[in-house]
Amino acid sequence: MRLVCQKDHLAGRLAAVGRAASTKSTVPALANVLIEADENGVVVAATDMELSLRAPLEARVEQPGTVVVPKLAADIVRSMVPGEVTLEHNEGEGVVSLTGGSSSFALNSHQPGEFPALPAEDGSGVVLPADVFLSTADRVVRAASRDDTRPVLTGVLVRLEQDSVTMVATDSYRLAVRQAPLTSGPSQPQQAIVPARALAEAQRAIALAGADQIEVVLSQTSGTFRAGDVVLTTRLIDGQFIDYRQLIPEQFTHDLQLDRGELLAVLGRIAVIAQRNTPVRMALTEGQMTLSVVSEQFGEGHESIPVAFSGEDMEIGFNVEFLRAGVESAEGDTLRLGVISPLRPGLLRGDDDTFRYLLMPIRLNT
Amino acid sequence: MPDARPRVIAHLDCDAFFATVELLRRPELRGLPVIVAGNGPRSVVTTASYEARAFGVGSAMPAATALRLCPHAVVIPPDHAAYSEASRRVWARVGTHLDRLQRMGIDESYADLTGTPRPVAVLRAAVADVLEATGVQLSVGLGPSRLVAKCCSDVGKPAAFTAMGREEAARRFASAGVRRLPGIGPRSAERLAAMGIHRIGELQAADPDDLARRFGERWGRALHALGWFHDDSPVVTDPGPAKSVSSEVTFDEDITDPAAMEETLGHLSERLEGSVHRGGRRGRTVAIKVRLSDWTTVTRARTLPGPVDDAATIARVARTLLREYAPPLPVRLLGVRLAGFVDEAARAPAPGLPDPAGQMSMPADHPGNMSAM
Repeated sequence: MRLVCQKDHLAGRLAAVGRAASTKSTVPALANVLIEADENGVVVAATDMELSLRAPLEARVEQPGTVVVPKLAADIVRSMVPGEVTLEHNEGEGVVSLTGGSSSFALNSHQPGEFPALPAEDGSGVVLPADVFLSTADRVVRAASRDDTRPVLTGVLVRLEQDSVTMVATDSYRLAVRQAPLTSGPSQPQQAIVPARALAEAQRAIALAGADQIEVVLSQTSGTFRAGDVVLTTRLIDGQFIDYRQLIPEQFTHDLQLDRGELLAVLGRIAVIAQRNTPVRMALTEGQMTLSVVSEQFGEGHESIPVAFSGEDMEIGFNVEFLRAGVESAEGDTLRLGVISPLRPGLLRGDDDTFRYLLMPIRLNT
Repeated sequence: MPDARPRVIAHLDCDAFFATVELLRRPELRGLPVIVAGNGPRSVVTTASYEARAFGVGSAMPAATALRLCPHAVVIPPDHAAYSEASRRVWARVGTHLDRLQRMGIDESYADLTGTPRPVAVLRAAVADVLEATGVQLSVGLGPSRLVAKCCSDVGKPAAFTAMGREEAARRFASAGVRRLPGIGPRSAERLAAMGIHRIGELQAADPDDLARRFGERWGRALHALGWFHDDSPVVTDPGPAKSVSSEVTFDEDITDPAAMEETLGHLSERLEGSVHRGGRRGRTVAIKVRLSDWTTVTRARTLPGPVDDAATIARVARTLLREYAPPLPVRLLGVRLAGFVDEAARAPAPGLPDPAGQMSMPADHPGNMSAM
């Protein structure tokens, strides 16, 4: 195989697709990027068996063929001088040569046969405007769990309905739900648990492709996301997602209106001395909310903001980072915080009900 | 005042615990025979998945033997930090259902349910919730004592749920070997065998006076009571954060090679690191325990200028202590202990709380009905 390509384009594509390559796998070929050149064009692809990414490469094919190059080829190409880069491989040889300007590299390569077959790219799906997809995914992905012992929670529930898309994620300490309207949803509802990492990569793919829409195909076991000419396929997570609607209380003892920017600024200040797992203490008294943090190591800080609170004083503790993430993710200038009691979850909502963030409290000692 | 209510004691045991934790992390190995074992020449199987057990592989078997029995088994090196973390999650979860809990090592506990209404339903709910929340299957034995409960949880594993009274246990286990009884180790078993006692039924039939002559008054009578499944030992609930954390290993054969001993200290230190990390605890005192072939047991400790929690430092101090002691005889047991924890009260998770520092989590017993829509 022999192909010639613009340096920046090749470096960009190798790096983008290489994100799916696995550095930890026991199958060495998975740490590589596959380049396939035939009469239809050139495709670069990588996979760690969970997630695969592929994208076309604009190149002049002088001799068709298939090669695998290590992920670090992206770094090599990026550091070459601007201009054309030639990639060449003679069938049966264990090296791929990369030349550009006066630099020349011979990279040890795996046989293309060791590379796993990429998942079939089939079916048409639901097309979402890129901004709808991004703003929805962005607000929930962070709430997914990173703990592999409960696989379902490492995913995001994606539900497509005729007139809306809903994404839900929870790590069991907080739960984020966002719903956005759709004009061309599926006639029958579809849903799947998509690994959070895949959703994050799909967001990146939109940016990479400069796409203004993304097509989502959900099948029984896999999900495909097409953004422009970049295609991401992911294994779906098998299991039952928590019935989140059952977890969200319908009524709150106090439903407080807050200035989102102000609360965020206060949290930003006091979070500086809060360590991981330190609760922020939210004391609600007549007309006032006082947020305080006590750090054994650094000392303490507190700040009050006016709030329309009346009734019996109440104190509730939250993880400061979780709370801040929820306030950040809500939209609009005003924020509503619903609370029931110090041991019941609190609910954050933005201007409207499209985003809801349920947060479990931390038991306070006093 | 002693509690006059009939005692209800459960023994909860995680099925193939290490293997389960590995399978949760590597679902692609599900259904394959998996063995968790180190890769040293003397390494032993710490757990085997039920698929591997079907080939006759068992815990504590040398890894080499296991691989002869089951040559296509997938061997995974143990990751004690991950097991400690999974263990913490399992028992914290159990703690939300059962409050009088006594931890016995990483994968088993006793629970006292005396006076609890509908103990079976409570236990079944706990088992289902732990499985849902952590992926770990518990086996449960239920009886009037720790002894009966412990023997029951082994019956019908995996996912056992066995309850028996004392008399029934004495009858059902009569044909089992005496080693089945906790407290009877290889040495006692050997001495019983010398008296012609191999099975629990034979122990029951033995003359208590003979046993007392042979084993001493107290242990002899205790053995006889054990055979009849008499046990009134209490479930000692969690006394709060431990003052020290230790990890030790008894060798299959006594060892003399200093390099092997130092390597073992390294492994023990890593295991220790796993269990201190979860509470964010750091200790200032590192100690070693050495038991020689003649059962002399020696400990040596050193207090450091500042608290430590990393395996490398603990291992370095432990090795220095071992070199200074220079065991005069072959060694049958080595242990490493970390003590002198700083800011213990502030950092250690309170027992029974679902997560560190009181963070509450959502109930996981909502299986959801969304896919039905």
